Amino acid sequence: MRKPESLIMILGALLLLVVLPLLNAYGTPGSTFHVTDYNINLWGKYLCYGILAISVNLLWGYTGLLSLAQCLFFSLGGYALGMHLMLKIGKLGQYYKAGNNPLELPDFMVFLGYPELPLHWIPFSSFWFSLLMVFLIPGLVAFLFGWAAFRSRIKGVYFSILTQALTYAASLLFFQNKFTFGGNNGLTDFKTLLGADLNAPDVRRNLYIATVLLLIAVVALVKWLLGTKFGKVQKAIRDSENRVLFSGYATTSFKLFIFVLCAIIAGAAGALYVPQVGIINPSEMTTDKSLEAVVWVAIGGRGTLLGPVYGAIFVNALKSWATTAYPDYWYIILGGLFVLAVLFAPNGIAGLPQQIRDIAAWIKRRNAPEPAADATPA
Amino acid sequence: MLRLPAFLPSLFWLLFISASLRPFLPAQETGAELRKQLVEAVSIDDDEQPARIEALAGTGSDLAAKVLAAWRGGELFKDKAADGTGTLFYKEAGAAIRLDNGEAFTPTEAKEVETSSKIRKAIKNATDLIAVAAPDPKARADAIGKLGMTQNADYLPVLLARQAKESEASVRKALEEAIAIIQLTDEDDAVCLAAIRKLGELPSMPSTDLLKAMTTSEDESDAAKAEAAKSLRLIEAYAKKVAFAQTLFSGLSAGSVLLVVALGLAITFGLMGVINMAHGEMMVVGAYTTYLIQNIFGSGVTLSMFGHGLRIPGMNLTGSAYQSYFIFAIPAAFLMAALVGIALERGVIRFLYKRPLESLLATWGISLVLQQLFRLIFGSNNVQVSSPTWLSGSFVISDVAMGYNRVFVISFAMAIVFLTWLLLTRTSLGLFIRAVMQNRMMASCMGVRTERVNMMTFGFGSGLAGLGGAFLSQLGNVGPGLGQTYIVDSFMTVVVGGVGNLIGTVCSAIGIGTVDQTLQANTDPSMGKVITLGSIILFLLWRPGGLFPTRTRSLEG
Repeated sequence: MRKPESLIMILGALLLLVVLPLLNAYGTPGSTFHVTDYNINLWGKYLCYGILAISVNLLWGYTGLLSLAQCLFFSLGGYALGMHLMLKIGKLGQYYKAGNNPLELPDFMVFLGYPELPLHWIPFSSFWFSLLMVFLIPGLVAFLFGWAAFRSRIKGVYFSILTQALTYAASLLFFQNKFTFGGNNGLTDFKTLLGADLNAPDVRRNLYIATVLLLIAVVALVKWLLGTKFGKVQKAIRDSENRVLFSGYATTSFKLFIFVLCAIIAGAAGALYVPQVGIINPSEMTTDKSLEAVVWVAIGGRGTLLGPVYGAIFVNALKSWATTAYPDYWYIILGGLFVLAVLFAPNGIAGLPQQIRDIAAWIKRRNAPEPAADATPA
Repeated sequence: MLRLPAFLPSLFWLLFISASLRPFLPAQETGAELRKQLVEAVSIDDDEQPARIEALAGTGSDLAAKVLAAWRGGELFKDKAADGTGTLFYKEAGAAIRLDNGEAFTPTEAKEVETSSKIRKAIKNATDLIAVAAPDPKARADAIGKLGMTQNADYLPVLLARQAKESEASVRKALEEAIAIIQLTDEDDAVCLAAIRKLGELPSMPSTDLLKAMTTSEDESDAAKAEAAKSLRLIEAYAKKVAFAQTLFSGLSAGSVLLVVALGLAITFGLMGVINMAHGEMMVVGAYTTYLIQNIFGSGVTLSMFGHGLRIPGMNLTGSAYQSYFIFAIPAAFLMAALVGIALERGVIRFLYKRPLESLLATWGISLVLQQLFRLIFGSNNVQVSSPTWLSGSFVISDVAMGYNRVFVISFAMAIVFLTWLLLTRTSLGLFIRAVMQNRMMASCMGVRTERVNMMTFGFGSGLAGLGGAFLSQLGNVGPGLGQTYIVDSFMTVVVGGVGNLIGTVCSAIGIGTVDQTLQANTDPSMGKVITLGSIILFLLWRPGGLFPTRTRSLEG
């Protein structure tokens, strides 16, 4: 890998992993070197989105599959951990404090009138089971859907439309109040995780550090995977699947593996997202969110290693700024930025240096002196 | 270039006129005779007064009903002029209207015309029975039904008398029903049993609750209970058939709207390979155009353009001139959406023909921009688009209500499919479109101006979406988010039908609409939608080519 990129990675890792938490813990409040608790939380959220963007990029930029269901897997992972967090509220819930909740059910169940905890909620009291489910549920859904889809040789836009329909159907299902997952209010009001109070600053800092570690792990995993023979076949599938098939590779298995892997990555990101943001509801799994994730990748640079992370951070920071400064025009800005990126900067932010170099070279060629008039043709 | 068969315009007008057929209303008696009768009934205070009041029932006049109701409610007044003559008047829209000649006048004093309990009773009988003799058959049937449901035996003679005179079939049925319902409470068992049997034969859906109560009540004889149970079964079988037909009809109309929207998408997606995520917004363009035309014909509208109000004056038309706005809105919606589509194609999509995934993303970005523009210009709330009066109301055929606006949508959708087929098969533009779809390079080599064909095709597809939006404005709410609710459905319809295939789109639209409505009727609306989507996904996983896949030798097909 080229020197500048590895330098960026190491510097970035140091900055995110070491510098920011230190500034948060030990900086004096009010000075420019202090990172507020709010900002640490915000960065944690951005980096979760960055991991989600990496999963989209791994499918789209490196395998040629535009999956609009990554937000679905993100939410499924979030719901799995969210269910555990809901069950841990226990005696701190509003209804329990008012004396209406002897069974210590989650508040929304009391609100909707459930007599007891549904059967499938019971095992989620255990943290390790929930953690397993964070990986297993998105992976299983991805496996079933992907197996059916890839076996039928569904590719290109049809695959994207199918994933969009899957996400839409799932969000409709989760919006129903009687689906036992909180309905349109979702799961919220979390109190503790493994005994630690989720609102305490040092717990939040630790969650942030965990997110950074996951990001570093995922980037390392992707970098390694792309270097192996598997990675080469993957890129070949993106470039021309038919030739790969004719060369004797079972592309279905490759695509299925990548699809499930990306679903698990997205699910893990969702699980870290939920305790930091404090809520998970079905609006996280609408197609709009999935397309936003694709926007991050497109703007950041698809087909590059760190592009998605740049894109996720840039677009979300822009969103935070624009929704306070120009709330009416945010969607116009986002849509316009997206169209411009697709039309004029297909390699996004990460590809900007190369694009600028190309433009400079083109300008130089145009301004190059004409060959001498008396040069005879060879 | 385009040669339409000569009968086509007349076909369209025939459809339009048939959707606006209404029973012809005979003029009501508001003449001097009636007014004289009314004045007499109110003023002459003697033993014959109740009889005269009840005789007013025979006139079937709306005016009589209004005056009697006013009298009962203490809203009928007498003005004593200087010479001792009293003028009766009632108030309408703030003005005092004389009873004897219907003219407005200014009273000097207003003394309420009094009633006694006998008079009130007579008024009540009269108003109940006026409706029985109303000129409009539907009003007659409704009034008779109401009288029947009271199960008051006093009404029986009136109903029987009416039955001897009645000639209209639907009112006869209502009469039989009402008489039978009243006879349910008859002391004589034979009459009661005959009535129960009659209700089962009709079959009479309104009597379901009464019959159910009879089967469980203590006072009825076993024979009556058995008979009631039998009649109930007959009625329930009939009700099931009616529900099925009703669901089919709503499925057909939902499918027709979906068809018009999906047809445009099928053309752009199937014939050009461009995923247009902004197709929903073209629909919304059509719907908002209808709203604008409605307001231009009416009292004008104020749009907010980036903080400044833009006032569009209205023509302030009323009556049938105003109601004709919809006829102008249809081509306007088509044109506006087509223009937006062409602009989109020239500006953005032209560069993305070889990259279908990017066209999906770029058009989604455009759809975000358009949605926000709608919010800024028209506001985030839904806007009110009312149906013209000639589209309100419904046909009722054996208890299945078919709304005029839905019948109009269905017939118009069929006309559009036919026109599209004509366009594609009988015009040179259609020939070029098909050529470009099959092999763009080759068509270009043969001299087809592919760029122009693309532009016209995209414009046509978007125009169809605009038409779909105009129809949707009649059937539902119009707001900035309308496009998003339909976009996934339209994509599913196109892909299930088989891309590039008009018949496939027609079949899949009608099929999906019907399945969706049936599931929504049997489970709840949300669950029905989920199951429909789930089955579509499963179907596509099994047959990715759709119902009628395009046969191609290419590996990419």
